[in-house]
Amino acid sequence: MLNPFFLQGSQGEQGLVQDLINEQLRMYGLECHYIPRKLMTSRTIMKEVTESRFDQAFPLEAYLMNVDGYAGQGDILSKFGVRVTTEATFVISRERFEESVAPFLEQQEDDYDVSNRPREGDLLFSPLGKKLFEIKYVEFEKPNYQLRKNYTYQLTCEVFEYEDEVIDTNVNLIDEVVQTDGYIARLVLSGVGATATANTTLAFGAVQQIFLQNDGYGYLAAPTVSISTSPGVDATAVAIMTSRSGIGTAKSIDRILLINPGGDYVGVPTVTVPGTGIATAGITTLGSVGIVTITSGGSGYTTTPNVAITTAPSGGTDATAEAVMVGGTISAIRISNAGSGYTSAPTITIGAATSIGDGDYIFNETVQVSSDSSETARVKVWDSSSRTLDVSILTKMQFQVGEKIKGLESGAEYVILSVDYDTPNDYPNDQYKQNQYNDNADFETEADAILDFSEGNPFGTF
Amino acid sequence: MLGTYFYHEILRKTVIGFGTLFNNINIRHKDASGTNFSVMKVPLAYGPMQKFLARIQQQPELEREIAITLPRLSFEMQGLQYDPTRKTGIAQTFIAKGGTTAKKVYMPIPYNVSFELSILAKLSDDGLQILEQIVPYFQPSFNITINLIDSIGEKKDIPIVLESINYSDQYEGSFETRRTIVYTLGFTAKTYLFGPVADDPAGLIKKVDVDYYGSTNITTAKRVQRYSATPLAKQNYDDDTTTVLDGAISEKVTKFKVSATTDLAANQRIIIDTEIMKIRSISGQNVTVFRAHDNTVAASHDHGASIGVLSATDNASIEFGDDFGFDEMSSFFSDGKEFSPSQGIDI
Repeated sequence: MLNPFFLQGSQGEQGLVQDLINEQLRMYGLECHYIPRKLMTSRTIMKEVTESRFDQAFPLEAYLMNVDGYAGQGDILSKFGVRVTTEATFVISRERFEESVAPFLEQQEDDYDVSNRPREGDLLFSPLGKKLFEIKYVEFEKPNYQLRKNYTYQLTCEVFEYEDEVIDTNVNLIDEVVQTDGYIARLVLSGVGATATANTTLAFGAVQQIFLQNDGYGYLAAPTVSISTSPGVDATAVAIMTSRSGIGTAKSIDRILLINPGGDYVGVPTVTVPGTGIATAGITTLGSVGIVTITSGGSGYTTTPNVAITTAPSGGTDATAEAVMVGGTISAIRISNAGSGYTSAPTITIGAATSIGDGDYIFNETVQVSSDSSETARVKVWDSSSRTLDVSILTKMQFQVGEKIKGLESGAEYVILSVDYDTPNDYPNDQYKQNQYNDNADFETEADAILDFSEGNPFGTF
Repeated sequence: MLGTYFYHEILRKTVIGFGTLFNNINIRHKDASGTNFSVMKVPLAYGPMQKFLARIQQQPELEREIAITLPRLSFEMQGLQYDPTRKTGIAQTFIAKGGTTAKKVYMPIPYNVSFELSILAKLSDDGLQILEQIVPYFQPSFNITINLIDSIGEKKDIPIVLESINYSDQYEGSFETRRTIVYTLGFTAKTYLFGPVADDPAGLIKKVDVDYYGSTNITTAKRVQRYSATPLAKQNYDDDTTTVLDGAISEKVTKFKVSATTDLAANQRIIIDTEIMKIRSISGQNVTVFRAHDNTVAASHDHGASIGVLSATDNASIEFGDDFGFDEMSSFFSDGKEFSPSQGIDI
């Protein structure tokens, strides 16, 4: 039986020890942040959490036990690249945790099953080296019941392995830890564009259009279409190719458009298409559209705009044309029908470029596209000068060029110009450094030069 | 003995070919409602690398805030082994087209390259997603066609055989140790290594002679007939166009007017556009021809189309891989001579 004259730890003594520990931790500890893990989605059978969120950070002083350097093997080169195996042990005050963290977690009991103690899987952010530690084990019996009570938690931690967890605590220092890590897709966005302009002349005896008699097959590249010469201006044309289902990888001719309808032809010129295609020309002796000259290529086009040509006078044929867009600018106008019966040079109007492109995306905000896919992602890095937007945690990987993407918090909205689903290895802004472990694109580029896909799969593709 | 420098980068190409199979693998995470909340492309890299580069590129700032991003795919070449089952004659050579010249190459040596593909995953479900997207393609092999030697355009089908799948999940033991999920897939790429590629000293065969003998007795038989075949050009290599059509012609016309006949002669082969014709006769500025000669197709030609003469110069300019025709000649003998390959004459 214990000596009744000794309490082996009265409430007052226990309180004193706890106070002393709290004081020591405040003097010698580090200003860490305790970041609880919200278990969003768990899977049965394999028993693992597939979706986690870290959206709160509680300042909490912690004492770093590793005075001679961190435990673990440090930085090692593994077959999976550089791996940091740093481990650390932190001591936190039990009372401080119960006072400053646990009550908040208890209020959100739907999100946190266990709230009255530090939990394995939660994160601890150390300001030394801005390291993000994951708690592996919570030791609560060291020291072991001094004065019949435990006053500290000893947290055995290792540096966090990141996948696609949402870290959005509103403490920038913490959130920025994984700003360039994990899977990232890069979108290049378009700014507000300028509409392209073009003009044309009136031509007589020009080729009105080219009729494709046989679309041919087996073309590996667009064939050079030649049109017999004219006493005046020679007509030139270009073949637009297409893939026909069931004819392997080689292509057929979709249509032949005029670059220059020419002029002063006396008879119907001969159209020569190398290979298996056959085409004939139609000629107009009345006024038609001549060669179209781009006066301004414009900018900010994300989709090929329509080309409108003023209608021909009564009895004539309206001219039609298509624009060619390269890198957001209109590089040429191809004439599909030069028309006839025009008495003066018609006016050419090219569809407007995008008028969207405003604002700055905010790090970690959700962005959403306007199209039916409603794909969302989270902003990692936004570089306004080059208009590149790096996003992660994509819900579909179905971004389409030409669709609008809007920041749900910032309201910034731009149109997508190009999409690269390979994690970028460099940044336009030197502020960001990428942990380069991603040769996917390099393999693709190198393989394109040596792999032969010309012989299709005889069993078909899907 | 050895030491003729050559490096076709075949093993590097095999590594690239192997790696590119796995560079577009995605994994998905679903939220509680069953919709995707995250789609990721799994990063892939060839494991071995220069150590300082690894440090500089993957840890540019010394303070690395996180351990690693997951999941990851890594592979490395593990060994080379001669494959006797695909052995061919060691002294056999073949002639291949290298640009415009003939190249002589020894038959390739079959080698099996062992690869190990490793999947490092944070969640076992990630590992399974990746694995399930790889394994069904290998039954047990998957073929890729690699252009092993660009200079001769030698494309080979390389079967990649899935040999083994191992799985390690260290989850037992102290809570303080890390759980690591690694799948290791063993593959064999059945590639070919090539020796040096030399210019073929014999060059192109420009003439074939076949001698026929009057009897099968090889000691007393005398040659009776020689059949010679020489290539005929189907292109105007020297571009000698000295005259043009004076008026358009249809595909049926056999007599037409040209601007000048000075350089033309009967029995000459001429080419207009892509049609070859043989001249029957010349009368003033009019030329009578056989149309659609040498298996070409008769076509209409425009006024002013240039007329090229196919001469012996063109025949000598035929390059490796070009389309060409044949000129045949039969000679009859009663002299009993034989052709000497060493002297190149009949003796």
